[in-house]
Amino acid sequence: MAPLDTGAASNLFNVGAERLALLGKHHKALMQGYLDGFIDEAAFSESALKKLIAARILWRPDEQQPLALRPLVSELIASMVADENRRQINADVAEKLEQIRNRVQAYRDAQYKGDYSVAELQLQRLTEHVHDLSGQFEEAIDSLWHRLNSDFGFVASLDDKIRENERAQKQLRRLLDGLVLLDFNELIELSEGNNQLRKLLVSQLQNQLSSHHSSLLEVQKRLVELLARFRQQQARSMLITNMAAFLRQHPKYQPADYPNRSDVPVLFNQAAAIQPQAAIALDKASERQILAELVRALPRSAAINLPDQQSASFAAVMEDEEIAARQQALKTDVENFYLRVIDKAGPLSALDYLAEHQLSWDSEIWLYQIIAEYQALPQDEKHMFAIKRDEVPASAVNSLLLIRDISLSLQAA
Amino acid sequence: MLQHGPLLERLLAGDFICQVSDEDAFRHLSLEQTQQDINHYLRPLNRRLVSNDDNSVYFLAYHELNKAAREQLSGQFALTVQSLLPLLEWLQLVQETLGRDSALTAGDTIKLQEFVLRTEDNQSLRQRLNQLASDRFFNSQSDALDNQVKLIFRRLKEHGYLLQPHSDRQYYIVTGKIDYLIDVIRFIRDEEHLPVDDTPTQQAML
Repeated sequence: MAPLDTGAASNLFNVGAERLALLGKHHKALMQGYLDGFIDEAAFSESALKKLIAARILWRPDEQQPLALRPLVSELIASMVADENRRQINADVAEKLEQIRNRVQAYRDAQYKGDYSVAELQLQRLTEHVHDLSGQFEEAIDSLWHRLNSDFGFVASLDDKIRENERAQKQLRRLLDGLVLLDFNELIELSEGNNQLRKLLVSQLQNQLSSHHSSLLEVQKRLVELLARFRQQQARSMLITNMAAFLRQHPKYQPADYPNRSDVPVLFNQAAAIQPQAAIALDKASERQILAELVRALPRSAAINLPDQQSASFAAVMEDEEIAARQQALKTDVENFYLRVIDKAGPLSALDYLAEHQLSWDSEIWLYQIIAEYQALPQDEKHMFAIKRDEVPASAVNSLLLIRDISLSLQAA
Repeated sequence: MLQHGPLLERLLAGDFICQVSDEDAFRHLSLEQTQQDINHYLRPLNRRLVSNDDNSVYFLAYHELNKAAREQLSGQFALTVQSLLPLLEWLQLVQETLGRDSALTAGDTIKLQEFVLRTEDNQSLRQRLNQLASDRFFNSQSDALDNQVKLIFRRLKEHGYLLQPHSDRQYYIVTGKIDYLIDVIRFIRDEEHLPVDDTPTQQAML
């Protein structure tokens, strides 16, 4: 390359700056184009489109095709946003190496001629190339780690992941092959007798490349592990799917009787459960203290609650719905008995009535309730009924009278 | 041996010990010395410690196979065979419902709510779940999706395939017993030469 004069350099500067500004000016529409794969021409004015094409940002791959981003621009974006679906890895080392050789030659020639400004410029370019070479590996390694750490999450299916992993391994192999091309003996020869070249090509580059080399080996190891895991998952999924299909197709399928083979496979030798039980041992005097504490710590809430319930008042018990309902039924039956007495002219025996209507009340309760009902009547209504107790003495020596029956009759006022 | 007391109790109770169900115990069981100690202790009980092919889950087997042991194993085996299809269908259903690209493995987490939500809106998933729930392995009597799902997960928890870290929170972790299930299936397939593939054909790989 001929040395650039200042006029050409400033021209280059102006054009480059102008074209970079174009990227910024249309950033949204261009990014949309990156995502869609083509450019929506309606989003641009005609002159803007012309400028973008002239700037080699957009191109038309084919007459029939819509405008698209040039591959280099797409690549730039993919690298900037670490979009692993589109990110490219450049494993071409031979070309870079060739450029480095040529630069070194040009630098030496310029020095030989004593043209120091040109030599300076060549050294500058050479430094850039060396950095490019190292950066190329760095970018590739970054991309590989990125894919690895996301478990290839940028593709959805397991099959795709396996394919992506295999692609990454191929890239990695190319990168490692590229590293082999770098012969340090040659680089040492190239930089012979020049400190600056030696520093740039030998110590610096060698350092960087050896660290890249170990990174790549680490990535390779991890990729292989991950691939094995993917394959295992894939095998498991397939086994599940196919076995389920087989069992559905053969509902009567019965495997061999493995438990009764002479040599039972370990998978089917699953022992029955044993639940170990233990009780308190009272024979160890040393543990009495602990046992006593355990007993004391037992919750006692149940014992405290019981007397509370027993001491509830009679009224409270009466509130119980079931008992109240029985009480009400008894009262109704007794009322019916009184109505019967009113209907009937003669006296009516309470126990006869009970038997006749097949009521389930205990006879004693029945009599009590009839007496209670009688006592509860207002004074003037009491006179309407004649109550006659059928009583016997409890025994010959006891004058206590027991009521055996009651007969009730309507009394004329 | 005293330090392994709780572990022994779990093993004796028929539990499967894996990295998910009990990380510490699993680490201990991986040590040869512990295995020997435990086997020595279990010998009078006619039990020994065994594991699946890749040592990801441990459980107890009989030492000597007497008549009673064989009977127990036969019953156990019948249950295992009966449970194969429902378990496989469940694995497929979970994988499809949650949109996962691979089968469930030990350590995977399943959120019950997410599973219910995704099944609710999809008639075919709903139908498959319904069918699965009424399989006699799960034996659900309910028609309500929520109850069916809860029952299925509870049964799987009882069988040791799932672990529920917090009893009041509805998420489950798949245990290593799933590896055991896969090993059982692989074993039966190999032993009986079933036409069940688990390697992708060349076609599928391209």
